Amino acid sequence: MSFASLLMEYTTRPNIWDEMCAQGEIRKHYQLFFDSLSQVAPAELAHKDELAKKLFMSQGITFTVYSDGEGIEKIFPFDIIPRIITAAEWQHIEAGIKQRIKALNIFLKDIYHDQFIIKDGIMPASLVHSCPNFLREMVDVDVPFNIYTHISGIDLIRDSDGSFYVLEDNLRTPSGVSYMLENRNMTYRVFPGLLPRNNVRSVKDYPDLLLKNLLAISNRQKSNPTVVLLTPGIFNSAYFEHTTLARLMGVELVEGRDLVVDNAKVYMKTTAGLKQVDIIYRRVDDDFVDPLIFNPNSILGVSGLYYAYRMGNVAIVNAPGNGVADDKAIYPFVPAMIKYYMNEEPILKTVPTYAMDNPEHFKHVFENIPKMVIKKTNESGGYGMLMGSACTEQQVIDYKKEVEKNPRQFIAQPIISLSSVPCFINNKIQPRHVDLRPFALYGPQGIEIVPGGLTRVALREGSLVVNSSQGGGSKDTWILS
Amino acid sequence: MLSRVADAVFWMARYMERTDNVLRALRTNYIASQDEIQNFDWQLWIDGLGATTQRSEAKLAYRDALYQLLMNKENDNAVLTNIVRARENARSVQDYVTKEVWQCMNDYYHLIRDKHTEYLILHGDPVTAFDNLLRESTLFYGTVDITMNRGEGYTFLSLGKYIERMLRSLDILELKIKELDKHDNELVQWKYLLYSLSGYEFHTKFYRNTLSTENVIHQIIINVQFPHSVLYCLLQVERYFKRLDTISLPEHFKEMEFLLGRAVSNLRYGAPAKPSVQNIMPLIESTRKEIKSLSQKLATLYFGYS
Repeated sequence: MSFASLLMEYTTRPNIWDEMCAQGEIRKHYQLFFDSLSQVAPAELAHKDELAKKLFMSQGITFTVYSDGEGIEKIFPFDIIPRIITAAEWQHIEAGIKQRIKALNIFLKDIYHDQFIIKDGIMPASLVHSCPNFLREMVDVDVPFNIYTHISGIDLIRDSDGSFYVLEDNLRTPSGVSYMLENRNMTYRVFPGLLPRNNVRSVKDYPDLLLKNLLAISNRQKSNPTVVLLTPGIFNSAYFEHTTLARLMGVELVEGRDLVVDNAKVYMKTTAGLKQVDIIYRRVDDDFVDPLIFNPNSILGVSGLYYAYRMGNVAIVNAPGNGVADDKAIYPFVPAMIKYYMNEEPILKTVPTYAMDNPEHFKHVFENIPKMVIKKTNESGGYGMLMGSACTEQQVIDYKKEVEKNPRQFIAQPIISLSSVPCFINNKIQPRHVDLRPFALYGPQGIEIVPGGLTRVALREGSLVVNSSQGGGSKDTWILS
Repeated sequence: MLSRVADAVFWMARYMERTDNVLRALRTNYIASQDEIQNFDWQLWIDGLGATTQRSEAKLAYRDALYQLLMNKENDNAVLTNIVRARENARSVQDYVTKEVWQCMNDYYHLIRDKHTEYLILHGDPVTAFDNLLRESTLFYGTVDITMNRGEGYTFLSLGKYIERMLRSLDILELKIKELDKHDNELVQWKYLLYSLSGYEFHTKFYRNTLSTENVIHQIIINVQFPHSVLYCLLQVERYFKRLDTISLPEHFKEMEFLLGRAVSNLRYGAPAKPSVQNIMPLIESTRKEIKSLSQKLATLYFGYS
């Protein structure tokens, strides 16, 4: 038995866009990959799968679940078959994301300054001010180069007709980019020779681009500003990512306790005394960065950091307060933002969204619940959501009560069946649903997107939830040139 | 470099050195217990290495003892715990040690937790397990040597390594002296001691006659050609510490420099001319105290980040 015969058993489901197959035929951009593997036996694939797991383990690309003192090592599940995207598709995605991030960034500047978008009646004031992530502390704060969203991860999905939709924007501290890099490293170990033969574009520029942007926003007139990456510490599930990025960029990885603020300047405690810090790439949420301003119980942040930031003595990346722009209740207004700020038509589609504080929408959603998904506006990671197609009646009743308590915190969307890709699971090639998170870097010289991204896979059969916290995995993403 | 990072690198090195020294000593002891010595007293070693588990009343069988010393998670000073700690320290400075060093630590950790290792220790041939583990340890030293840059990080790593090694040599010598009471053949005991410090071959070449207590103690305490001798390690600590000159606050540097200089002199000129089991004990005691206070001073002056 070979890969080709394994593939005979690959059955796509109706009304779902499959990335590899169209009406039983292999799509053109998968053909070369498919041909190279056609003679490979399933046992060999299983061996490759095993190899990938071992490599992840021995390279410590793991996250640790702590229980009674000693940690248990886990790896994020990785599927060996890459997801392939054509040059034309990528061009479309790239243009769409650039446009969107530009608009969201202008929105952030506007909403924390003049609020023209509210004054001109494009967006209701109540919506913005009821958002818990709208930070009053950011009002009238000028950020370096007017950039708020230095690093963003935009989640894209594909509907049954193959068109890309934006599912959500991640403008606070999006994670996953280290897996984009590591998954690629894994592919050339598992499938030697395939990357160059397929003309896959490289993703390895990401750390260099990021560092270039970070250095560029320093406020001090200094030839060699100090950049640090602020991590919550080793217990954070994304700690591996923090160390990887710090290592690849050659910057110090600091914890809150390594930093101290004196006279509105930020210093790190070194063996040679205090050393001033100019740029902080923080992977700590807004709420925890400064206990004097935000959550007073936080020990992850630095007292006085926010004051130093407002004085312009240190740059914080991403800017605090971005949560107002990736709020799910603001999401339906993004196309209007693009028109209003840029006078352009949105390139990427958005999913129709029902605000649950609108009684008509509320009624409509609960009448059509099997086709709907309800989400909390400020949750991520797949928490706190209700998939109407896969829940009991009791769950709907309970959830409805929850929504009625605070309808502003919920939105609903029709369920979009994510596109499927072939995955190697249980020695078979089976279709699983995926999304795509490309990472955009916004610096003084513009927006750059490394040709690649994180493809997240819902490993359970039929599942549409790709979050790693909910049994999701990932795979390498190839952008062809 | 960050004080926290310096601290973690220092302790990573200490735990790794401890692991290596303890493994070598236990390997030799295990072989000794199999070879000619009747009624090997494992409890002495379990106590000597500071086991934190309940002390058993009955005499321990060798497999149980090995389990206690190597892989009992409850034991705060088991080899497994040391490796876990070394790795946790490395993890918190993963961006600072090289990727190769981190992967090496990681492999080490996975090896000691491997089912096969457990099998070898509990049911198979423990020497194979010792050898496998020691190979990882050797790999660690080699990887550090060829991949780490010779900056501050390397300095603190070396300080940790040699401070720990001194303490281990002192501890192991002391344990051996205690063990002597229970055996008739003193020379065989010294031989095992030298084996566990990888110093037997050197001894035969350097002293050129049969083993004597005087020479063995001389080798372990003040022979500067022997990499496990206390004086050798102390001189290495002094040498590496001097590299911190340019980055230190002057008063901190002076304070440490003085303490180190005094410790070297005390050892060099304070050691008895004809060392014996009796007259060496006070020196072991005072040297250990001095090294510990040195290490504490280093922590206060250089790692005081909180």
